[in-house]
Amino acid sequence: MNAAAISVENLSVSYGAIKALRNVSFTAQPGVITAVLGANGAGKTTLLRTISGLLEPDEGSITMAGTNITREKTEDIARRGLGHVPEGRGVIGEFTVEENLRLGAMAAKVDLKAGLAEQYEQFPVLGQRRTQHAATLSGGERQMLAMARALIAKPSVLLLDEPSLGLAPLVTVELMETIRELCDAQGLAVLLVEQNAKSALRIAHHAIVLHLGSVAANAAASDVAADEKLRQYYLGLAE
Amino acid sequence: MVSIKQFIANRPTSARALATLVATIALLGLAIIVDPLNDTYLATASIMAIAIVGLSLLIGLSGQVSIGNSGFMAIGAFTTAIWAQHHAHFPLLGSMALSVAVSTVAGIVLGLPSTRLRGPYLAGMTLAFAFAIPPFIQSLGTFAGGSGGLYFPTLQTPAWFASAIGEKDNPLAANNTWGAAIAIVVAAVAFFFMANFFHSRSGRAMRLVRDNDVAAELVGVNVARTRVLAFAISAAFAGLAGSLLAIIQSSVLPQTFGVALSIELLSLLVLGGLGTLGGAMIAGLIAAYSDSIVSRINSWTGIDPVSNLGGSLKGIIFGLILIATMLLAPSGLAGLGHRISRFVRSRVAQKKALSVSETP
Amino acid sequence: MIDLLTSRVMGDIFLGVTQGVLYGLIGLSLVIVWQSTNILNFAQGAMAMFATYVGMTLLEHGLNYWACLAISVAAGFVLGGATERVLVRPLYGKPEINSIVVMVGFLGILEAGAIAIWGGTSRMIVSPFSLSYFQHNGKTIFLSPFAILQIAAAVTVMLIVAGLFRFTKLGLQLRAAALAPEVARLLGVRVNRLLTLGWALASAAGAVAAVVISSGFEGLTPTNMDVYFVFGFIAAAVGGLESPLGAVLAGVLIGMLQQFIVDYAPPSWASFSPVLILVVALMIRPQGLFSKQRVRRV
Ligand SMILES: Nc1ncnc2c1ncn2[C@@H]1O[C@H](COP(=O)(O)OP(=O)(O)OP(=O)(O)O)[C@@H](O)[C@H]1O
Ligand SMILES: [Mg+2]
Repeated sequence: MNAAAISVENLSVSYGAIKALRNVSFTAQPGVITAVLGANGAGKTTLLRTISGLLEPDEGSITMAGTNITREKTEDIARRGLGHVPEGRGVIGEFTVEENLRLGAMAAKVDLKAGLAEQYEQFPVLGQRRTQHAATLSGGERQMLAMARALIAKPSVLLLDEPSLGLAPLVTVELMETIRELCDAQGLAVLLVEQNAKSALRIAHHAIVLHLGSVAANAAASDVAADEKLRQYYLGLAE
Repeated sequence: MVSIKQFIANRPTSARALATLVATIALLGLAIIVDPLNDTYLATASIMAIAIVGLSLLIGLSGQVSIGNSGFMAIGAFTTAIWAQHHAHFPLLGSMALSVAVSTVAGIVLGLPSTRLRGPYLAGMTLAFAFAIPPFIQSLGTFAGGSGGLYFPTLQTPAWFASAIGEKDNPLAANNTWGAAIAIVVAAVAFFFMANFFHSRSGRAMRLVRDNDVAAELVGVNVARTRVLAFAISAAFAGLAGSLLAIIQSSVLPQTFGVALSIELLSLLVLGGLGTLGGAMIAGLIAAYSDSIVSRINSWTGIDPVSNLGGSLKGIIFGLILIATMLLAPSGLAGLGHRISRFVRSRVAQKKALSVSETP
Repeated sequence: MIDLLTSRVMGDIFLGVTQGVLYGLIGLSLVIVWQSTNILNFAQGAMAMFATYVGMTLLEHGLNYWACLAISVAAGFVLGGATERVLVRPLYGKPEINSIVVMVGFLGILEAGAIAIWGGTSRMIVSPFSLSYFQHNGKTIFLSPFAILQIAAAVTVMLIVAGLFRFTKLGLQLRAAALAPEVARLLGVRVNRLLTLGWALASAAGAVAAVVISSGFEGLTPTNMDVYFVFGFIAAAVGGLESPLGAVLAGVLIGMLQQFIVDYAPPSWASFSPVLILVVALMIRPQGLFSKQRVRRV
């Protein structure tokens, strides 16, 4: 069996009368970064939240490594090895950096000491700030903390919701490279939601484009990047 | 049909006055017809309805939860009682006005913190107030009767009233009817005031502050004053109810006005329906008849009314109702009635539509 | 030195602290519940009372004091957890009035229910510690062996709670569940269970207070926890509703103030003093005296 890391089939989600996702299907493979692109309100966040079990779909199914997780509880899905860095990062400001990381490691049965050491090596600035309250970190540092907190649990799938939001262009480039390295090194399946289509397409292997809740394109990242129509209509990347 | 609707739309105040008048006359007629026991129930219902509609304004309209209105009732009741105790001359209106004035001042004082406190802090503070009032009154010593309470001359039924209702030879019956009549008229005035207030500028301002105080501030509503005003009016109504209670019962006891009364007011309000006049009326009736309903339940189930269970049955039922209403029908009985009538009307409309389409 | 202990001021301090730790314990319970679920549990005192009545019923079957304490605390734990599961869970995300009404209704049921089952008269658990005050040179030191137990019990509970929240994995998860439930879920924290646990812990801590009260002079009645709830609430509010330590300190402070007012001021002041303390404290610092300004949420 080489089941996809995440497989979404005919997923429809609504907020009351508002249909946020219609019949969305795609798969995400291990070791592959799948960029999820689309305009504001296209349904990207909704998609990730539904995969995590925070929203209940009207129809369709979600499978993780061959197991149907469609109506499982968020915390159980997380314990299966799904890391989710939510929109706005979700760092707990009242906790110190290290408390945030310890919380991330808690549910997963991983060695805390080794995990902390590993993350501090990956993100040295976090090591320097370990006793500082997370609320006092800069935007970029907070993003690193959010990533580290997800990674310390050794997930097999990582959902990232607009990690570049509010970061300087140079930092964004660095961050994207880090994501790519992690994916290559650990065989992670990454779903990368991005407004910044350009930088996402640069590191992604695959891309899907959402438009008004439907899949407008589902292709290799290079093909999406090369498709003039997609670039113009959906991604706002003029020549 | 249309003309009534137009009348209500064009001259809402006159329409409300008319409705109040009709209801008052009907209730007064009822008070004359029914037996003395039911007269006391009618009086109690009117009194409780006044207190509950005042609480409804505070909680339903201004969104501030108070568990302290029993304290304002106590202040109103004892103001009237102390007056009656120390003055041979006992003017009804005067003592009611004084009670309202004193409890309004208390309401303003307790309401002042509401400009800075929210939700549970505020509710807890009012609870602490309700808790402090009975021991405070007791500690005033003989002036307020201590823990034994105050007893004062019974309400004097005017001769013209007794002869008008044909109970000249039965002073007890005349007295009960007179008490009920007073309570009904005062309640009518109070409800008329409240109905107009709900639709007034200040009433709308309260609703706005409840829903979004920032937006209210932006459109020029004085948020702090609106919050305090809600407390003041609510306290005035509670004080009025307390005063009437003292007048009707000719006695007051500090322990009557404990936290339990506040809880009862809250339960009845929630059961009737928050922020509606009809709900407060239903709630008043339930309050008046709750004891006799509970004793019915006692006799049906064969529970000894003086046993531990019999004595606490009312409390258990009230608590259950409170929880069940909140979890199952948060808009209360008034809301339920509204929903049922809408359902029936839509059914009738459907039937009409069907029968019309069936006729060739 | 010993003479100081028998002075009037020290007497007031001893009596005030002894009483105040009980307010602090109930305040502590309220803070735990408030922190984890943003609900002010108006039935906190009544739940403690009910749990302790359960313990007392078993005591009548020949159990000793400590077993009774343990059973009451366990009953409080179970009652707290069950309350969260059944009554409180449907209230999350609903308007505040709903939770206030439901908890007030529950308070009514517990008190009336206790009267129905056990009657309204005062009940006592006789503790193995004496209630009589220490004497020195014919003068009274207003401390008894039982009062010392009372203070020690409160301090112990507070230390256990503080230690649990600050130093354990469970505490970290409890705090995370309270601060950011959704984020906690995404990290695999079983938030629902923790909310239940929070209520259970709070209710168990409250039961300790009720057991102690039932061993004191007044004993326990179905309704005399009301006073402790009101003062416990005042303590929690003055302490800032977010701070367990603040609640306990405020409780002790209120106990002492009350004692001084009873001792030195005219009697009509005594009943209003706690309300005044609350109002004044909250007017000065609406977020509570001991709470830090809330850290910005990220
Ligand atoms: N809680 C909600 N209630 C109602 N509608 C919602 C809610 N959350 C999102 N929506 C709607 O669902 C649609 C999809 O929203 P979603 O947040 O998934 O978009 P997105 O692609 O993540 O946008 P962005 O790039 O701005 O983050 C939008 O039209 C949005 O208005
Ligand atoms: Mg989004």
